[in-house]
Amino acid sequence: MIRFSDVSFTYDGADHPTLSHVDLSIDEGELCLVVGQTGSGKTTLLRAINGLVPHFTGGHLGGEVRVGGRSTRDFPPRELADLVGVVGQNPATSFVTDTVEDELAYTMENLGIAPDAMRRRVEDTLDLLGLHELRNRPLTALSGGQQQRVAIGAVLSASPRVLVLDEPTSALDPAAAEEVLASLTRLVHDVGMTVVLAEHRLERVIPFADRVVLVPGDGAPLVVGSTADIMATSPVAPPLVELARLAGWSPVPLSVRDARRLAGPLRQRLAGAPLPGTSAAVGGAVVGADATPVVRVARASVHYGPVVALDHASVELGAGEVVALMGRNGSGKSTLLAQLAGLRSPSEGRVTVAGKPPTDLPARKLITVVGLVPQDAGALLYGETVADECSTADRETGLDPGTTASMLDEVLPGMPQNRHPRDLSEGQRLALALAIVLAPGPSVVLLDEPTRGLDYPSKERLVMVLRKLAADGDCVLVATHDVELAAQVATRVVVLAEGEVVADGPARDVVCHSPVFAPQVAKVLAPEPWLTVDEVRVALGGRRRDQ
Amino acid sequence: MTSDAVTSDAVASDAVASDAATGRARARSTAIRLRPRASVLLGVTSLIGMAAFCWPLVIQGHAGANQAHSADAPWLFVAVLPLLLAVILGEMAEGTLDAKAIALLGILAACGAALRIPSPGVAGFEPVFFLLIPSGRVFGRGFGFVLGAVTIAASALITGGIGPWLPFQMFGAAWMGFGAGCLPPLRGRAELAMLAGYAAVSAILYGTLLNLWFWPFGAGTTTSFSYSPGAGALANLHSFVFFDLTTSLGFDISRAVTNAVLVLLLGRPVMAALRRASRRAAFDAPVVYH
Repeated sequence: MIRFSDVSFTYDGADHPTLSHVDLSIDEGELCLVVGQTGSGKTTLLRAINGLVPHFTGGHLGGEVRVGGRSTRDFPPRELADLVGVVGQNPATSFVTDTVEDELAYTMENLGIAPDAMRRRVEDTLDLLGLHELRNRPLTALSGGQQQRVAIGAVLSASPRVLVLDEPTSALDPAAAEEVLASLTRLVHDVGMTVVLAEHRLERVIPFADRVVLVPGDGAPLVVGSTADIMATSPVAPPLVELARLAGWSPVPLSVRDARRLAGPLRQRLAGAPLPGTSAAVGGAVVGADATPVVRVARASVHYGPVVALDHASVELGAGEVVALMGRNGSGKSTLLAQLAGLRSPSEGRVTVAGKPPTDLPARKLITVVGLVPQDAGALLYGETVADECSTADRETGLDPGTTASMLDEVLPGMPQNRHPRDLSEGQRLALALAIVLAPGPSVVLLDEPTRGLDYPSKERLVMVLRKLAADGDCVLVATHDVELAAQVATRVVVLAEGEVVADGPARDVVCHSPVFAPQVAKVLAPEPWLTVDEVRVALGGRRRDQ
Repeated sequence: MTSDAVTSDAVASDAVASDAATGRARARSTAIRLRPRASVLLGVTSLIGMAAFCWPLVIQGHAGANQAHSADAPWLFVAVLPLLLAVILGEMAEGTLDAKAIALLGILAACGAALRIPSPGVAGFEPVFFLLIPSGRVFGRGFGFVLGAVTIAASALITGGIGPWLPFQMFGAAWMGFGAGCLPPLRGRAELAMLAGYAAVSAILYGTLLNLWFWPFGAGTTTSFSYSPGAGALANLHSFVFFDLTTSLGFDISRAVTNAVLVLLLGRPVMAALRRASRRAAFDAPVVYH
């Protein structure tokens, strides 16, 4: 279906080829997963399939890419539109119309399909993706997962035979991601669609993939093979695979179910091993039970009109703690963060940070007490370059020139100083926002969903930064859907539902026995309460990887 | 937070990285390339367009014949000018107009047209030209020409400004955009000052040219500053200057000042945004197969 013959590609003005001598053949009806670190050339490979590389980007392409018998050399992207559908990371940027039905019909209108055929295909697409209940809804009123399914529907309505998706779930929360992946597997199994998928969050997708293409980056040759083979050696791997490598399981299990069936002996070995006190204690943070809480939320309620966003919630956070705030969308996580950041005062109850309600503090003082990194880190960034952003932050917060820049160097060394903030990777953007927030030295740091769109190395980096903050005596509160992050970094987990605190306790107690919040390692090793691969490695007598 | 340099939008960012490798972003890219034939055609149509504006000053003698045609001659240009515009825009679009340029053209023309809604021209506040100048500057003269024409056409559709004056306005704005794309490659403060100056001068020129078109109709035939077909170029120029001064120069000057002030205030951020768009669209990156 898709055939790369000796394909090399160099961007205009670049010294090194991004792809070099790629030979790859993807068969009809295959779900092919493309993995690799940020910047390795995954996106370039995907875009070469429908000719966006090089027709859109410019550059030198050697060799030939053929899709369904058509060469991208002779057919520009518009003449491949009926054959290849491309879906990007952020569905909202691809929307042209206002409602679901219109969006599905738009592609067909451009391809000049007859109205009655168009009508029928819209219905088919609605059914195929389970969108029929949303057909008249405005696109802006949809959740992230629904939007992404509409974006997939919009390219499907042209009835392509190949679907190319570039990180379709990395900006979504786990539930939305499952929604999208379920739709994709349905397309592969029921319709026989050929799907090529790039993804950071491997734990979500590897059970579904037929084959994996590993893009090592720097123009090194691709590694292609069955999912289990590639995962055994891949530099990017989900916790499940890391655990399998540690335990020496072969072939590498790809789902929790497979792993559990192999994990009996490991569970027995671990049964007597001493548990680390808390997961973060291993990272160096110590939580004193007698420490006076820095943050007190006492029976706070917040109403947005008739909606109760927070319902008599009480939480206390101490210095040196990393607390994960979990719960489904709309459970009140962001509202609680907004309270602590002094963006809003509660309708009832009392919120204090370092003894005072944050809304009483003047802005200059507030930023030295509490800092919030919002969900979209780019919202804090409006300068033209990274260096510009740092100096503006220094000026506006009254810090000595260079403070933010040196903080940034601590958070993530080697940032490209002349890059536009919007041209940074998710990880780099988060680092920049974090540096700006941390520079005034707040004692309470709040992060809203920081791991969306981050690859594994970026997440590792974030975990290290958060642990260091806690070790320095700061209080860190992370609102997150990411159970692996919570397992790695949190000393305590607070779960919200319908604005109420439904669980509050040490991370291990809260997440281990929850089917929703348990990390992969805990699911595999249950009832043994282990949270991360590192803990298991230590228990087996190995050294932690990050020390 | 990887330390490796490239972004999640790897394609665009690789292009950015390559730009960083080759030095600072270029002052100007070429979103619409003018091929030789289009250039010649642009020259010829511009000459005819100029004639359409300036005929009252140029045509001499034969008072009787001129008088006889003074009513229908302007309408000839009104009819011919849209055809000329269609020819040149068609030629420029032929083969060289890619999806990226069309998308940018659409967005910028829509923004420009929207800028005209809150600006009925009261006290010369007409920001519709403001966007045109940085755009022509950043995306080159071919793009500036097309954008000028398209912006005015789009805004006329929105504001109900369709009439015999429309092709003249389109030509005027197209030249304004074209000129912005021809300015010398200065950077920094000098560039901003140059653009502000250009914005002021071009606004006055635009106003004067459109007056020139309107003059034979607008001033009737009886006043002392009316177009008089038999009077000779110098006398007519004299009456036109008088007409221009008395009717609209005040308006034109205030428009020139608003334009220049807008460029000074907003030119930098707007051009930074446009340059970033131009960098990411990689207009100048050739597509090569080997």
